[in-house]
Amino acid sequence: MSAILAMVFLVMLVIGVPVAIALGGSSLLLVMAEDVQPHLVVVHRMISGVDSFPLLAIPFFIMAGSLMNSSGITARIYDFALALVGWLKGGLGHVNVVGSVIFAGMSGTAVADAGGLGNIEIKAMRDHGYDVDFAVGITGASSTIGPIIPPSLPMVIYGVMANASIGQLFAAGLIPGLLMAATMMVMVSWYAHVRGFHRDATFALSRLWYTSKRAFLPLMTPVLLIGGMTSGIFTPTEAAIAATAYALFLGMVVYRTLTWRGLIKVSMETTETTAIILLIVAGASIFGYLITITKITDNVAELVLSITSEPWAVLLMVNIFLLIVGCFMETIAAITILVPVLLPLMERIGVDPVHFGLIMVLNLMIGLLTPPVGMVLYILARVANISFERTTRACAPFLIPLLVTLGAVTYWPEMVLWLPTMIYR
Amino acid sequence: MTQPAPGPDLGQPMIGTSDDIGVSLSDYGIEDWIAFALFWGLAVVVFLQFFTRYVLNDSLAWTEEIARYLLICVTFIGAGMAARKNTHIHVEFFYVYLAPRVAFALSTLVDVIRILFFGYAAWLGWKVANIMQFQRMVVVDWPMSIVFGIGAAGFAILTLRSIQIALRHWRDGESALTRVRVEGRHQ
Repeated sequence: MSAILAMVFLVMLVIGVPVAIALGGSSLLLVMAEDVQPHLVVVHRMISGVDSFPLLAIPFFIMAGSLMNSSGITARIYDFALALVGWLKGGLGHVNVVGSVIFAGMSGTAVADAGGLGNIEIKAMRDHGYDVDFAVGITGASSTIGPIIPPSLPMVIYGVMANASIGQLFAAGLIPGLLMAATMMVMVSWYAHVRGFHRDATFALSRLWYTSKRAFLPLMTPVLLIGGMTSGIFTPTEAAIAATAYALFLGMVVYRTLTWRGLIKVSMETTETTAIILLIVAGASIFGYLITITKITDNVAELVLSITSEPWAVLLMVNIFLLIVGCFMETIAAITILVPVLLPLMERIGVDPVHFGLIMVLNLMIGLLTPPVGMVLYILARVANISFERTTRACAPFLIPLLVTLGAVTYWPEMVLWLPTMIYR
Repeated sequence: MTQPAPGPDLGQPMIGTSDDIGVSLSDYGIEDWIAFALFWGLAVVVFLQFFTRYVLNDSLAWTEEIARYLLICVTFIGAGMAARKNTHIHVEFFYVYLAPRVAFALSTLVDVIRILFFGYAAWLGWKVANIMQFQRMVVVDWPMSIVFGIGAAGFAILTLRSIQIALRHWRDGESALTRVRVEGRHQ
C-alpha cells in the first residue's frame, strides 16, 4: 500500500501537478483504495493541518521583508554596509555579504533578499565596473544567508513538521549564518587579490556615522528580533507581527516612502505567498500522517541502515540526497515532504532534531542556486537581465563557501547546538 | 550634520526607490479582496494579542484561537488567487524533454486532476462542515463548522478557477507547462 502512495505521488509530481495537490490527491487515492477510513479524513486533516500557532509567524515574516523592500529601508541598510566595509579591497563584494547579514536579521526568505537587496547590489556593482558574473554570484550566495540567520521561514516550517522548538532552531542558525558570511568574505578577498580589485571607497568615520544614523531605526529590527526571540521574550509569531508593525510604522509614518497603493500590493503578495506555502503544508499534513502509519519511514530507515549504520556515512548520504532533491524541488515543498521520511532515520543514528534542521535547510538553500530548479537563479537572471545559463555559471564558484559551511554544520554539531544549549537547555 | 563626508562618488543613497509603479488595482479578483480583508483581520487580531500581552499585561483569550482560524481562512481563500494566476508551486522541469503533443496531453491531465481533486475536496469539506455544526470552538462559543465551511468554500473557489484555467488552456492549445520548452526555462 505504501508503495502505491509513493508511486502515485511521484508520478503526479513529475507530470507537473501542483505539489499541494500531489500530496493531497495521492493521500486521497490511498484512503479510497484502503477503504478503512472515511474519505473526509483527508480534507479534515488538510484544514486542521494549518491550525497551528507557530505557522502564524509565516505571513508576517513574509510581509516584514516585503515592506522593508518597498519602503526603501533596504537601501538604507545597503548605504550603511557600504560605509562599513566598502573601503576593503573588493569593497562592494563585502558590502554585498554584510548587507545580506543585516537583512537576514529582519527577513526570513532568500527570495526577499535576492529580489530586494540583490537588485540594489547588482546595479551598484555594475556601475562600479565589477563584472556581472562576480556581482551575480556573490549576490546569489549571500542571499542564502537570509533563512539561516533568524528569522527564517523554512525553519518555522521545519519546526512545525518536526515538532521541534522554533526558538532553538533560530538560535542554532545564528553562528552557522555568520560562518557562511565569513567564508564568503574570505572568497571575496581571494577574488580581490587574484583579480586586483580596487577599493571602492576610502574609510570615512563621518560617512559611517551619517549612514548609521539614517539606518539606525531599521538596524534596530534585527537587534530586537534576534535578541527578543533567542532570549525567549518573544515567540517567533510575536516577533513576526512586531517586525511587520515596525516596518509599517517606518514606511508610513517615519520615512513616508510607502504609499497606500504599495501597501495594498504588498498585502496581496503576502496573502498569495502565504496561501501557496500553507496549502502545501496542508497537503503535507495528511501525507505525512499516512506515510507514518503505513510505516514507509521505518522501511526507509531500515534500508539506509542496512547499507551502513555509521552516523558519518549516513549523514553523508543524506546530505547528497538533499542536495539532489534541492536541485529539483522548491524549499518548502521539500521540507514538508522529507521531514517525516528522514527524521526517524536521524533519531536512529542519534542526530539532534535541531541539528538536522540546520543541515536540511542549508542543503535546500544550496538548492536555490543549482539548476534546473533554483528560485534565486530565476530571480537573479531577471534582476541582472542575463540568461539562466549564465546566472547558473556565475553562481557555481560561490557554492564552495556554502559547501564548506555545510560540512562544518554537518560534522561539528557543537558549533550548531552551542547557542541553543546555552539559552534553552 | 546632514551632508555625507566628501569622498569618492558613490552615487546618491538610494532611498525612496519604491517599486509600486504600475500596480493596477483592477487586476485583482473578488476573492482576492476577500482574502485581503481576512489577511488584515488576521494582522489586527495577532497584533491585538501582542499588544494586550506586552502593554496591558493581560492577553485576550480569544485572540490566539481566532488568529489560528483566520490563518486557515486566509490559506484556503487566498489559494484561489494563486490558482487564478496559476502560481501554485509545481515541478515543470521534465517538460523540457517532452514533444509538444505529449506535453499538451500531460498538461491537460494535470488540469483534470486539479479539477477532480478540488471538486471532491469541496464536497468532502462541505460534509465535514456539516458534521462540525455541533462542535464548538474552545474559547469562543461559535460552531467549528464556520472554519470548515470557509475551507470548503475555498476548495469550491479553487475548483471554479481551475475549470476556468483548464478551459483557457484547452482553447489556446497551450499552458505554462507546455511553454517550458519553447521559452527555454531550466536549460
